This record gives sequence, C-alpha cells and structure tokens, in this order.
Amino acid sequence: MGNRKNMKRRIGIILAVLFIGCHTKKVESVEQKYLRWVGDIEQDIAIDRKDFKLCNGDEKVIQYFNTAQGFRYKGEKTKLFKTFQKNFIATHEESQNGLIRIRFIVNCKGETGRFRILESDFNYAKFHFKDNIKNQLLEITKKLDGWELLKIKNQVNDYYQYLIFKIEKGQLIEILP
Amino acid sequence: MMRFIFFFAILLFTSKVIAQPSCYAFMHYGDTLKYKACIKAEEIDAYYQFSKKFQEILDASLSIDSTFAHAYREKSVAYLKSGDFLIWKKLIDKAVRFNPKDNLGYRGWCRYQFFRDYKGAIEDIEELDSLISYDLGYSANGDYHLNIAKALCYKAIGEKGEAIKIIEKTLGNKDYSVGIYDYLHLGVLYLETRNYEKAKQALEQQMIQNDIAENQFYLALVFKHQRKEIPYIEHLNNAKELYVKGQKMFDPYTNPMDKIYLDDIETELIKAIN
Repeated sequence: MGNRKNMKRRIGIILAVLFIGCHTKKVESVEQKYLRWVGDIEQDIAIDRKDFKLCNGDEKVIQYFNTAQGFRYKGEKTKLFKTFQKNFIATHEESQNGLIRIRFIVNCKGETGRFRILESDFNYAKFHFKDNIKNQLLEITKKLDGWELLKIKNQVNDYYQYLIFKIEKGQLIEILP
Repeated sequence: MMRFIFFFAILLFTSKVIAQPSCYAFMHYGDTLKYKACIKAEEIDAYYQFSKKFQEILDASLSIDSTFAHAYREKSVAYLKSGDFLIWKKLIDKAVRFNPKDNLGYRGWCRYQFFRDYKGAIEDIEELDSLISYDLGYSANGDYHLNIAKALCYKAIGEKGEAIKIIEKTLGNKDYSVGIYDYLHLGVLYLETRNYEKAKQALEQQMIQNDIAENQFYLALVFKHQRKEIPYIEHLNNAKELYVKGQKMFDPYTNPMDKIYLDDIETELIKAIN
C-alpha cells in the first residue's frame, strides 16, 4: 500500500512538473513571438555597445517614418551614398547577390547602436553573404554620423532606422530606403 | 503645411491604409468562416499596425480561416515598413495565393517601392493584367498608376524605350487621370534618350500639373544640352527655391525614382556659373 501511495505521489509530482514545464514553455513562446512592436531590437549585452543608451527607454522607440518627414540624414541621401561609394570595396564575386538590411536605433543625441543584420538572395530566400561584404557595410554604417534628430512635440525621440543594400556580384548597386 | 505634416504623422502612427473588405459580402456568398475571420480582423482598427495586439488579432483571425488573404496582407505591412524582406515576402505571398486579383498589384508595387525589385514588380503587375479585364489601379500610396510604376521598372532594368511606350500609351488614354509625377518621369526618360524637345514639352507639362524642384532641375539640364545658358541657370535657381520651400518629390518611407537632392542642384549651379 505504502509503495502504491508513494508511486501515486511520484506520478503526481512528475505530472505537475510536466504541466508547469509545458505551461511555462507555452507562455515563453508567446512572449518571444511578438515584442512590443514588430522589429523591436532588445539589447544584447554580448554584442551591443554598453555605452549606447536610449533617452526615453525601449518602450518609446519610434520608427523613422513616424514623424512623416521621410528619410533624414545630414547632406541627404547623396552624402550617405557617397560615403558608401568611397569606403566600400566591391568584391566582384559572381555568387554574391541579394539584399542586406542593417537595422539599428538612433538615439535622441543622434548616436547609433543595437545593429542587426538580415540577408536574402534576390528571391527573398535566406542567404549568407561573405563576411567581407557584411563587415564592410556594418562598419561603414556604424561610423555614419549624420542622423537627424526626430522630434514630436518638443520631445526628441529614439528611433529605428534601417538601410538596405542591394548587392550584385559583390558590388553595391543601390541603398534603400 | 505644419497642419498637413501633423495630420500625416498621426496617419503614419495609427492607421492601416489597406481597406478592410466588407465582411457581410462573405456572409452574402455563404462563406461563414471567412465572415467570422473578417469580423475578428476588424478589431485591428484600434491598434497600431506594428503592435503585438494588432498581430495577435490577425493570428486569431487566421486561426478561424487560414485562407483569409486580407489578414496576411495586414500582417505583412509592419514587416515591409521595417525592411524585413524575409517575413514580409512569406506573408504577402500567402495573400496573393489566396486572393491574387486583390493583392498582385499591391505586392508588385511594394517590391518596387521598398526593395527595388524591378523584375519582380513587372512580373506581378503583368500577371495581374492577364487576370483582369478592368483597370489595374494605383500604387498603395496613390502616387502612380500601376502602368506607370511598371514603366519605371522597365526603365530601371535598362529598357527605356519600353518605359516611354508604356507612359505615352497610358497618358494617351482619355479616361486616365494624370498622376502627380507622370510627366516628370516621361520628361526625364526623353532627356536620358536625348530627345530634348520632347523632354522640354513633358517637363513643362509637369510644371503645369505639379511644379516641383525636380521638373525645374531636369528642365535646366535640357537647356544645358541645348547650350542655352540663361534658362539653364534660371531653372536651376527655380529648382533650388522650390526645393528649399519643400516643393519636391516626397514619400515618407522611401526616396522616389528621379528624386533630386539639394547637393545635386548646388553642384550643377557651380558647373553652370563656372
């Protein structure tokens, strides 16, 4: 009898643990699925600069187009494109074709951080560009210092910005947006 | 102007631009599942299209009917605007799969506007054209008829003759309402193919329709090629004045084709004066 009781208790504990485990996992998966906004970038202490600070907190980061002023960079897109033209060394490799998006946050001081890279081929399928191409684009993007400040009703906002690089045979063809 | 910007900013923060289909139409045709999915999807009206709640409502709508194209299209918008081409394409492909007539033109336009996928945009617009007998319609931002958008894509892949042919044909249709940049693009195409007299006519027409820095700038270049120094400089000055006043090509998300920047005008002014 005692053994049977013990057995029942054990089974009960195991089921409870399994239930709690499954439940926790489910909650986590929902939480991981969507953050506050699509595309939110959480700080990753392993890769992000520790001295990059948001002025208004993660909950108030807006998108670059939310103020209806369009893409804003000092010297406009001409200057931005010239910076990449001057500093990016094309690899001229036949196999390197597609899109690279670098997305990041511009804070209320115009500083940038939390850079993330997304890549695809021209059929919108996952693709891995060679590090030489990605690293060059990332380093040039990190050094850009002309980001305009975005104000709404006298508050200067932190905002998400992205650059998409169209690469054909290892050459930089276009920059979006 | 400030009021306009404020209104536009509110629009960019709050609204979904895509028209919700009439749910009762599904009911009328006996598709109760789609009707229920549609009613559920209507709840997104209260939320920002980037928000978690907005996405979750659409997931719930799709759990009622996984073939409800409108929900996929609505879900895709935030990914499009944040430049996430991988997830955007998966979602919009489903919208096209379940309702090609309503979504092919939209996908084609987005491929052009956000990713400069010229060949993909042409394929989508031409496929839509093959499926319908009515007008192709306009771009999501309302700036272009899809035929003009297609012409711009042909230009971008080097087929300028084809681009000119499409724009001329579209403008020649008596029922067509001229777009805000149509004559500008046509003028630039003529300029690039060294047809200066036609370029001048088109750019002057743009001036009448919607006078912006770009038509003045390209008109200046026409006079430059014709070695007419006075109008060359005059139109560059006009371009600069309009640009500074904010009368120029604009899109809140991306930079339109043939758009110029202040640096372009000032560099050309230096060349003109020296």
